[in-house]
Amino acid sequence: MPQPTKKKRTLSGATTVKTAGTGRAAAASQREIMRQAREQEEREAKLRRRLGVGTLGVVVIALVVILVVVVVPALTKKAAATGSYALAIGSESAPVTIDIYQDFMCPYCGQFERAQSADLKAMVDSGQAKVVFHLMNFLDPSSSGTKYSTRAADAFATVAKQQPSAALAFDSALYADQPAEGSSGLTDAQIADRARSAGVSDAVIATFANQPNLDFVNKSNQAAFADGITSTPTVKINGTVFKGDLYTAGTLKTAVEAAK
Amino acid sequence: MSGAIDRVHAFRQSNAWIFSTMLVSACLSLLASFVLSVDAIALAKDPAANLACNINARISCGTVGSSWQAHLFGFPNAYLGLLAEPVVITIAVASLAKVRFPRGFMLAAQVVYTLGVVFAYWLFFQALFVIGALCPWCLLVTLSTTLVFTSLTHVNLRDNNLFLSEWVHERAKAALRIGLDAVVVTLWLVGVVMLVFTKYGATLFA
Repeated sequence: MPQPTKKKRTLSGATTVKTAGTGRAAAASQREIMRQAREQEEREAKLRRRLGVGTLGVVVIALVVILVVVVVPALTKKAAATGSYALAIGSESAPVTIDIYQDFMCPYCGQFERAQSADLKAMVDSGQAKVVFHLMNFLDPSSSGTKYSTRAADAFATVAKQQPSAALAFDSALYADQPAEGSSGLTDAQIADRARSAGVSDAVIATFANQPNLDFVNKSNQAAFADGITSTPTVKINGTVFKGDLYTAGTLKTAVEAAK
Repeated sequence: MSGAIDRVHAFRQSNAWIFSTMLVSACLSLLASFVLSVDAIALAKDPAANLACNINARISCGTVGSSWQAHLFGFPNAYLGLLAEPVVITIAVASLAKVRFPRGFMLAAQVVYTLGVVFAYWLFFQALFVIGALCPWCLLVTLSTTLVFTSLTHVNLRDNNLFLSEWVHERAKAALRIGLDAVVVTLWLVGVVMLVFTKYGATLFA
């Protein structure tokens, strides 16, 4: 098939112009031009249909891939994520349970902890209450890419599981002089230092580097969302959300005593 | 199938379709810019403000709106949308009423809007890869800006408002005739959607 030259293509717009002359040669060349224009149009239409079908194919494949790889597992996993990601600190038989949903990057969690830590420690030590931590890491995007929420929560989960007696002190150490939201948070070395100052053993600190609780922390975060937690800190006393003033010392203790 | 493709193609070349797309997209973009501007004020008043579009860790206007990228020029980016989109709306409405703008005017519109699209995608990639959260209204801006850009470019290539040489303009028109513009934009958007899902996957629903 002859390649159409540019000249012929630009002439294709002339197909509707009537031939002025009636000479045979003029009519023949007119027909030739029209034929070539039609062929050109046919070629373009064919190409256009192929491109169109191809593009639709890509769209359909992309939709199917997203559906199969992401959406379906996400929806089925939600139903399955019911394991317990609670970290209980204190006497099993304590009459009152205080649930704390927190993210180590959340400024209000720090404010809560600094106001209540002495009371929490006293209540746990006396067996009056046990504290159940629910770790969250949804503020990971607010630590300049260092995922401070996850790193801190990972270390905390390690301590709560392996050396629960140091957990409350470590919690306080992480929130004392808390890094600002949006900063890069504490470095791994600083987290280890604070653990050491809180009395965590070197053997336990040595395991921080492997981040053994990454999956646990992610699932704990998901489980908290599944529980309907919409903000941190959320504090529950015997399962009921504490609606009082979280940021003044003594308020929580009063509520715990009332719940006994 | 091929008949449908031909019909869609023919319809896509009509001014009615091109400028209606431009009009609707510009209106959506204006709406999104307005909401984002209001949110920016709310966040300025109270950085911990709980915005309706804070859905989860990944979909959160609060996280995006508080980033430095959200006010790159010292004011909320959304103000740029409030300034620019009404111009596009005017062009689209006038063109639907058969006004023809001077080529230089359309060239200027193309240049400015191209900068806008580049900025919109810079923000999108910042949100995706650096900030780590997406905001629904920003995504609407990204999408509608793409569509305005597409329709504006389509009309400017067709009418050679970009002062291209004869040779380049012929090539551009040939590309439009085989629907290459639609193919490119569709594949681009598919790529963007795939990117979001590959990067965030199931956490979008968490």
